[in-house]
Amino acid sequence: MHAFSPFTAVLCAALCAAPWLAQAAPAAVVSTPQVRAELVAHAPEGVTAGKPLWLGLKIEHAPHWHTYWKNPGDSGLPTTLQWTLPAGFAAADIEWPTPGRLPLGPLMNFGYEGTLLLPVVITVPAGFAGAMLDVKLRADWLVCKDVCIPEGGDFDLQVPAQAATAGHSALFASARAAMPQPAPDARATATVEGQHLVVRVAGLPAAWQGKTLGFLPETPGVIQNAAVPQTQWIDGSWTARVPLDPQRSESPTAMPAVLTSEGQTAGLQVQVAVTTAWPAAAAAPAALPSLGDAQVLTPPPVSLGLALALVFALAGGLLLNLMPCVFPVLSLKVLSFASKADQRRDLLAGGLAYTAGVVLSFVALAALLLALRAGGEQLGWGFQLQSPAVVATLAALFTLIGLNLAGVFEFGSVLPSSWAAARARHPMVDSFLTGVLAVAVASPCTAPFMGASLGAAVALPTAQALAVFAALGLGMALPYLAASAWPALARLLPRPGVWMAHFKTLMAFPMFATVVWLVWVLGVQVGVDGVAALLGLLVALAFAAWALGSPTLGPRARGGFSAVAVLLMVAALVWAVPTLRHDAVAQGVGGSSNVSEDAWQPWSAERVAQAQAAGQTVFVDFTAAWCVSCQFNKRTTLATAEVKAAFESQRVLLLRADWTRRDAAISAELSRLGRSGVPVYAVYAPGAAGPQLLSEILSVSEVLEALRGPGAPN
Amino acid sequence: MNKLLVTTTVAAALTLATGAALAAATVGQPAPAFTASDTSGKTVSLADFKGKHVVLEWVNPGCPYVVKHYGSANMQGTQKEATAKGVVWLTVNSTATEHGDYKAPAALAQWMQSQKAAPTATLMDADGKVGRAYGARTTPHMYIVNPSGVLVYAGGIDNKPSSNPADVATATNHVKVALNEALAGKPVTQASTRPYGCSVKYATGA
Repeated sequence: MHAFSPFTAVLCAALCAAPWLAQAAPAAVVSTPQVRAELVAHAPEGVTAGKPLWLGLKIEHAPHWHTYWKNPGDSGLPTTLQWTLPAGFAAADIEWPTPGRLPLGPLMNFGYEGTLLLPVVITVPAGFAGAMLDVKLRADWLVCKDVCIPEGGDFDLQVPAQAATAGHSALFASARAAMPQPAPDARATATVEGQHLVVRVAGLPAAWQGKTLGFLPETPGVIQNAAVPQTQWIDGSWTARVPLDPQRSESPTAMPAVLTSEGQTAGLQVQVAVTTAWPAAAAAPAALPSLGDAQVLTPPPVSLGLALALVFALAGGLLLNLMPCVFPVLSLKVLSFASKADQRRDLLAGGLAYTAGVVLSFVALAALLLALRAGGEQLGWGFQLQSPAVVATLAALFTLIGLNLAGVFEFGSVLPSSWAAARARHPMVDSFLTGVLAVAVASPCTAPFMGASLGAAVALPTAQALAVFAALGLGMALPYLAASAWPALARLLPRPGVWMAHFKTLMAFPMFATVVWLVWVLGVQVGVDGVAALLGLLVALAFAAWALGSPTLGPRARGGFSAVAVLLMVAALVWAVPTLRHDAVAQGVGGSSNVSEDAWQPWSAERVAQAQAAGQTVFVDFTAAWCVSCQFNKRTTLATAEVKAAFESQRVLLLRADWTRRDAAISAELSRLGRSGVPVYAVYAPGAAGPQLLSEILSVSEVLEALRGPGAPN
Repeated sequence: MNKLLVTTTVAAALTLATGAALAAATVGQPAPAFTASDTSGKTVSLADFKGKHVVLEWVNPGCPYVVKHYGSANMQGTQKEATAKGVVWLTVNSTATEHGDYKAPAALAQWMQSQKAAPTATLMDADGKVGRAYGARTTPHMYIVNPSGVLVYAGGIDNKPSSNPADVATATNHVKVALNEALAGKPVTQASTRPYGCSVKYATGA
């Protein structure tokens, strides 16, 4: 036990009247070879309600030894204080002084060396009339140099109620001075961008502007403590790209943090609001889920490698050729090979150019999506169909292709002759552009059928994600490439003849069917006015195509009709464009038509949390009008009597999150679930740690089993 | 067909480049491969155990937190339970030779034996290569690799960060829970937790 030093006695006698007992009592001190710890008090106006009363643990470290901050960093533990106080007294949390960075090899800790005071504010109850305040404290700390020793001690202190206790006022004052200072004007936000947390702090005090700052989060387990963030000042606001811990264990929405600056004893206290969703911890799927079944219920998809993801993407690309949007265009192109089977070289060159067009378009589209996401946009695959303007443009494109196939007009008559000549002179460019067109016509099909799978790919590291999309493009181009490389394949096709003309006309109908679907999607997005406007636009477009491109019209008739067509087009555009603007739409037109039916209610994160707290199971259907597999599941599995009965008997709360239009809250929730596309079906059982995700092609038995699953009520 | 080859090669190169950039082990990603000598001098590779679940445990007999879990027989119990189910358990010591806590292979083997420890092997990692690849920060620090070589758990041995052996009885053993889930083919519910303990005594400056 610590000796009562004559120096302390003299100091005490001089500074404080009676309470030398308070500091000298041996029970207030615990000494080890590494630290001398002492329970101290600061009560300059005695122990009275409404007057300041501080208690604190003073720790004097032996040289090179340290104890830890509330976030100890890579190892270590924060010091803990457990108070025993008379009834009515309350101890607040430790007011941690600004810590230092303590590097140790590749690791980084946050803590204190030298002399430390951990102060705590004590609230005195009204009407306290005792002569002494008896304080008991159990303190535990971990003290480390190159080795670590857990230590602790029980402390006793008596603070006189009627006299001033101020023997440690200098110590308390310096602890207060080292406490992180509030920065009332500072606004701090952070976004998760890949493997980094990008922290932005505006409104810092003038003395801090332009300085090199350190970032110490109070929340442990989030960032790589040893890494030095890239920081910069832009227009008076400080930005830091802080590498995230690859083994991150926490996903906070608010991160209190301390900023430090060289030459400042005290840091600045900031409240960092994390505005984007955290990717599901541990759920960074290393692979695409397969196109159909297989999801979380079966062994986790993370066991699939990137190689497998590439194979799936390749297979998915192959399948795209059979989609109603793509098949008509490509089948005709391949059929034309039969007539050129002798020009092998040209064919192969064309095939390669086409492949390049397809692959580059897919990669460009994916790169655009990744760039937008990196820029903070809440988007997933299928984003292209969330814009009514894109849906309308695609409807127009498909109408034109359909009319062309039906023989209403020919491109040759519409396009300027110089363009046609250029096409003939540069067959490679032509093939390349055919590839680009093929991706454009395929894009409405990739989103509805592959949204969820490609959405998962988007969550991969950039290079891997782009590789997956490149593989998808390659798969899509393969049949065409194969046919161009081996014209013998093309020869297997039926001989050209009159049937080809019929076949061509026949292929117009899947095109028009696609238009019907796109018009419906637009209807859900912007309502019936938008549909009428789009249909008007399509009629004007059809008229213009006929007037300009019909092979049967004479030149005079064409001139007259064309003038009318141009006027019609302008009128239709003037009518249509404002109704297709996103903002012009009254909220809920589309959403409600999708959601209000039967037992389903609109989704919100709060509703899920409330229901879970109330012990109710929640089933969430993440869906979109343009997502065909979503619509399929909704009209089959989710509509069966069995599933409905199970929902009803278990009082399951049914929520529908409609992603037909862009919705940041839904996008954030999807990425929290490790997805960025729909469909996603999530079952939240009360008491379960997280939701159970069902497969994209939903089966009745799967839903029933999930409802029966562990944690769900029987 | 050249184009095809080129595209495939580019995709593969991209993959390799990304793999190299991710130094520290990430849950949900392939676990870093390693080869190290055990205390008897035998070479052990992670690849030897493809098809099995592998638990990695960072150890340092000089660390009070390691002593907490060996003194209470918690670590040995977890080891025995795991290996009885066909799980491979590798105990790794990344303490640098110049550190006071360093134990030579024979001394470490003897300490493990005195504790009645039951790992599949005890590995020497004095240069810290394995520890750095996994981002091991504390002793103990625990990892689980699944049969296809993917890291499915990283974090603490349990949820009571203290040096008090009495806390073992009331703590949730994260490793047991995660291992049981992984063995049942289920996703690990808590795949990343906070490890606690002494810092791993890596060689400084390296």
